[in-house]
Amino acid sequence: MALKRVNAVIVGAGAGGGVVAKELATAGLSVVLLERGRWYSAADCRKDDLYNQRTQALGARFGPDEERDPRVLVDERGREALVSPSDGGYSNNAACVGGGTFCYGAMAWRFMEKDFRMRSTYGAVEGSTLDDWPIGYQDLEAYYEKAEWEMGVSGDDSNNPYKAPRRRPLPMPPLPPSKEHQVLQPAAKRLGLHPFDIPMLRNTVPYNGRRACMRCRWCVGFACEVSARTGTHNTVIPTALATGNCELRTGCMTKEISLDSSARATGVAYFDAHDRLQEQPADLVIVCGGAIESARLLLNTKHKLFPTGLGNRSDWVGRNLQGHSYSGANGLFDFDMYDDLGPGASIAISDYNHGNPGLAGGAMLANEFIRLPYQFMAQVPAWVARWGEEHKEFVRSAYKRTIVVTGPVQEMPLFDARVQLDPKVTDYWGIPVARLSGGRHPHTIEIARFIAGKAEAWLKEAGAVQTWKRIPGKSLSGGQHQAGTCRMGNDPKTSVVDKDCRIHDVDNVYVIDASVHATNGGFNPVLTILANAYRSSEALVKTWKGSKVRS
Amino acid sequence: MKKIVLTAGLLIAACLLMTPGATLYFELGDGTRCTTCHEMQPLYDTWHSSSHRNIACGKCHGDAFTVDVAFHMNNAHRAYSHLRGDLPEQIGFANKYVLEIDQQCRSCHREEYAKWESGPHSAGFARIFLDKKHNTANMLMDDCLRCHGMYYEGGIADLVQPVSRTGPWRLAQPELANMPSMPCATCHQVHRQGEPMQKSGVEGSRPGPTQEVARPSLALFDRRTQLYVPVADLPMPAMKEGERAVKMSKDQRQALCYQCHAPIAAMQVGSGDDRTGLGVHEGISCLACHDQHGEKTRASCATCHPKMSNCGLDVEKMDTTFVSADSKHNVHWVKCADCHTKGVPKKRQETNQ
Amino acid sequence: MWRRPGMRTDSSHSPPAAQVGRRVFLGVGLAAVGATVSCTRGTAGGTWRFFTPAQAQTVDAICAQLIPADQDPGAKEAGVVNFIDLQLSKRFKKYRAVYQQGIDAVDAASRSKFGTRFVELTGERQVEVLNVVEENSPVFFDLIVTHARQGFYGDPRHGGNRNMVSWKMLGLPFPPVRGREHYKG
Repeated sequence: MALKRVNAVIVGAGAGGGVVAKELATAGLSVVLLERGRWYSAADCRKDDLYNQRTQALGARFGPDEERDPRVLVDERGREALVSPSDGGYSNNAACVGGGTFCYGAMAWRFMEKDFRMRSTYGAVEGSTLDDWPIGYQDLEAYYEKAEWEMGVSGDDSNNPYKAPRRRPLPMPPLPPSKEHQVLQPAAKRLGLHPFDIPMLRNTVPYNGRRACMRCRWCVGFACEVSARTGTHNTVIPTALATGNCELRTGCMTKEISLDSSARATGVAYFDAHDRLQEQPADLVIVCGGAIESARLLLNTKHKLFPTGLGNRSDWVGRNLQGHSYSGANGLFDFDMYDDLGPGASIAISDYNHGNPGLAGGAMLANEFIRLPYQFMAQVPAWVARWGEEHKEFVRSAYKRTIVVTGPVQEMPLFDARVQLDPKVTDYWGIPVARLSGGRHPHTIEIARFIAGKAEAWLKEAGAVQTWKRIPGKSLSGGQHQAGTCRMGNDPKTSVVDKDCRIHDVDNVYVIDASVHATNGGFNPVLTILANAYRSSEALVKTWKGSKVRS
Repeated sequence: MKKIVLTAGLLIAACLLMTPGATLYFELGDGTRCTTCHEMQPLYDTWHSSSHRNIACGKCHGDAFTVDVAFHMNNAHRAYSHLRGDLPEQIGFANKYVLEIDQQCRSCHREEYAKWESGPHSAGFARIFLDKKHNTANMLMDDCLRCHGMYYEGGIADLVQPVSRTGPWRLAQPELANMPSMPCATCHQVHRQGEPMQKSGVEGSRPGPTQEVARPSLALFDRRTQLYVPVADLPMPAMKEGERAVKMSKDQRQALCYQCHAPIAAMQVGSGDDRTGLGVHEGISCLACHDQHGEKTRASCATCHPKMSNCGLDVEKMDTTFVSADSKHNVHWVKCADCHTKGVPKKRQETNQ
Repeated sequence: MWRRPGMRTDSSHSPPAAQVGRRVFLGVGLAAVGATVSCTRGTAGGTWRFFTPAQAQTVDAICAQLIPADQDPGAKEAGVVNFIDLQLSKRFKKYRAVYQQGIDAVDAASRSKFGTRFVELTGERQVEVLNVVEENSPVFFDLIVTHARQGFYGDPRHGGNRNMVSWKMLGLPFPPVRGREHYKG
């Protein structure tokens, strides 16, 4: 039985979907926001070092479900494996209201001008589909600002000479410096670098009625109990709901986009919280499921005009899957560095994002979030025995004496790093699952190696007595920063959506999340997702000719 | 026909009696039978070696004769979970039992209960969460439940609606209005290892003048991990006034107070909910003035400032928050110089500092 | 919440068979109990959910070598075997076979090298055996190293890190004292 028709159905209540819901609902469109996960509260999240979205030792706390949502991972040698959300390689992002923004670290970066013009800046990179975005920084600037002020960003990038020009400073000051910050800041200066306070979607003073960060130990991967960390779940989604024009339905897994005979979308078919198949008719369908799930939904939407999936006429849906190749270094100091002040990450440099000799891009470098004891195990250098007295002694003596400096290396997109549908495996609802395959471009790893060296140099200058680097391998990237699978472009032959995020060829289906990123910057992508969602929603509302709930 | 009715009747009766019957079986074992479900072992162990070892399980947890369908249904559900192999990692009690357990405490610890009931720590959910002035100024959040309503299973949005600053606010379950937000089990772990304390007055049992005693049950219930942390394991913060380290009493019981009456991250005295003593009262334990259960301080001044003291001052009449909440001089932080603005007289310095 | 492996505080605890016998007297209400009792594994010798008492001893001894006690308690004192046993009945179900085979491999290696069970060896010899196992059964060894770390450095609520011994070792206060900007009403 079909449900009441609405103007827009949005699939996914994460970073993109939350903003779109709010923008459309406040513009007077009737909206249904479908989310496959739940609306969690901090009560669902014990400060559990093993069961959270970061360590995932005992499962991914905020979904997706360990049993119901498998994926197939194909490694470089062609071996297939069925993977669960908490397995490495699954490229998990939280499945809940707020999506990744519910439990992330909340760095709120604007990309730089060159990040939108990678091809023009660096030319073609062999073997990569590196390209420019069809829009530039100037097209997003106003929306970056809107996201920063409407949702609330703290920090201070006035000391960053490399940043793209901004009209307004950030609305909130940074947190007082931690011990790591106090050691790293002068060291960077001595090296002639330009350290500054990381912009974060985090209240450092009361803002929008929510309180300031209490600087607890459990940040990335956990629910914020003071609601100081900002996500779509505590900003735009409540605003959307308060308009009365938006209905949020949780526990709803979208099966496919429903199309009429001319392949125009008529709504979506989804399984509700009680696993009943429902049909939600809508004038517009906006896909905001994250790079892997959005691509999967388009591929699962088959029609005689689109036998290989909606928007996939040129075989670009699911291609160019990328994330960030985190690389950096650990430094061991001969004095205590740990001060138990969250979130940990506080200071960054943008000196190596671009202009690195012979390299097409780079990364921002910043100190890492607080390491919980179990997380520290992943930081123990390779020369320390894996077990026995030596390991224990190292953990005991080094736990409070390390700093980690790391950065998200911008990746060279690969046509063959992709999301497909698995021909055999289906999920709990019988929907074909995502099949991930491909690897990382060698140049990405070259850049990562360079960045790790710079991180190491910074730590050494800060007084680290021992350092060890972390450089990613060749395997497929994705993870929480997954992007690129429904590229935005002007040419329908080499992209999936146009510059307003509308699918080429179908005029009422949009993809508004990181899937549309042609390249993913050398920064955490969330603020760009939010800004682009504000921008595309505005364009959508401007062209909207249908009836509104209220004008 | 008769036979069918009879059989059906017997079956129904059997079903009805099944869970209470099983409960009875467990009770008859003096607790040991509870541990046939091995997830009960740690609870049994701690209870068995605690000062409450002589109080039967059923006294607090209900028994076969408990008249409450939900109680027996819950037990049946537990047995079913157990059979399915769905073992709980932790066993605790639900919020709805808070009142009952408090009543059990009351049946023996009457004086403590009466003090608690008359003090601020017995405030109910309605008093805490429906405060218009508070809710208008500050958005409600999950962290409120860390100190108020730590046993509540759910988030703030399940408890109070709406979670906004405009209100009007109401409790989603109005029956929780008088549910104490800080029940006995906030600070006391009933199942706690430790010898029963001797009654004071018994020869040789009084602690010496420098000793502080802590009840073996003293422990913080940490909502975030659902664990009890014994008072001896709780951290004592290193408080600061600017850069200066503040002198702290060694009374470890204060660590319990600090969990909620906590400073913000910079550990400055007076920040957040902190009430660490400064000035004339620096270095004094919270419990030197605050009565343990009622938190009252009315009678405490005279302990150190008797009417017949050498200084001849009646501190209870001085301009401090002890006299009036509107006073500028908070008793926790009042310094000599606050009143002696032109310098503290030498004589006073000697006697007071 | 933890449990002392293999420890019974009360010797009068009746083994399952005796309890089933008493069902007759206590009537219909006890049917459920009988089932409850008989489902528990190894209740006579210990209260393991997955391991047999012998397996639990072996795993306990392995963990004691992976994270040994020194001036601070080690995996044994932290009840890491308890964590692994509990998780094998829940989230680690998929690793059951690896554990069964791995434990057998440890004892087999121990027997062939020193002619006796792993738990009966001296510490030095146990390390020698584990070096062999690390080489020959890498899947099991990687798994138990990972799980031992989780049990030791993770949360007490999962059955390990008893009395928060590892956090105390690292000097990490728990729960941290942390307040917020105070509402002034």
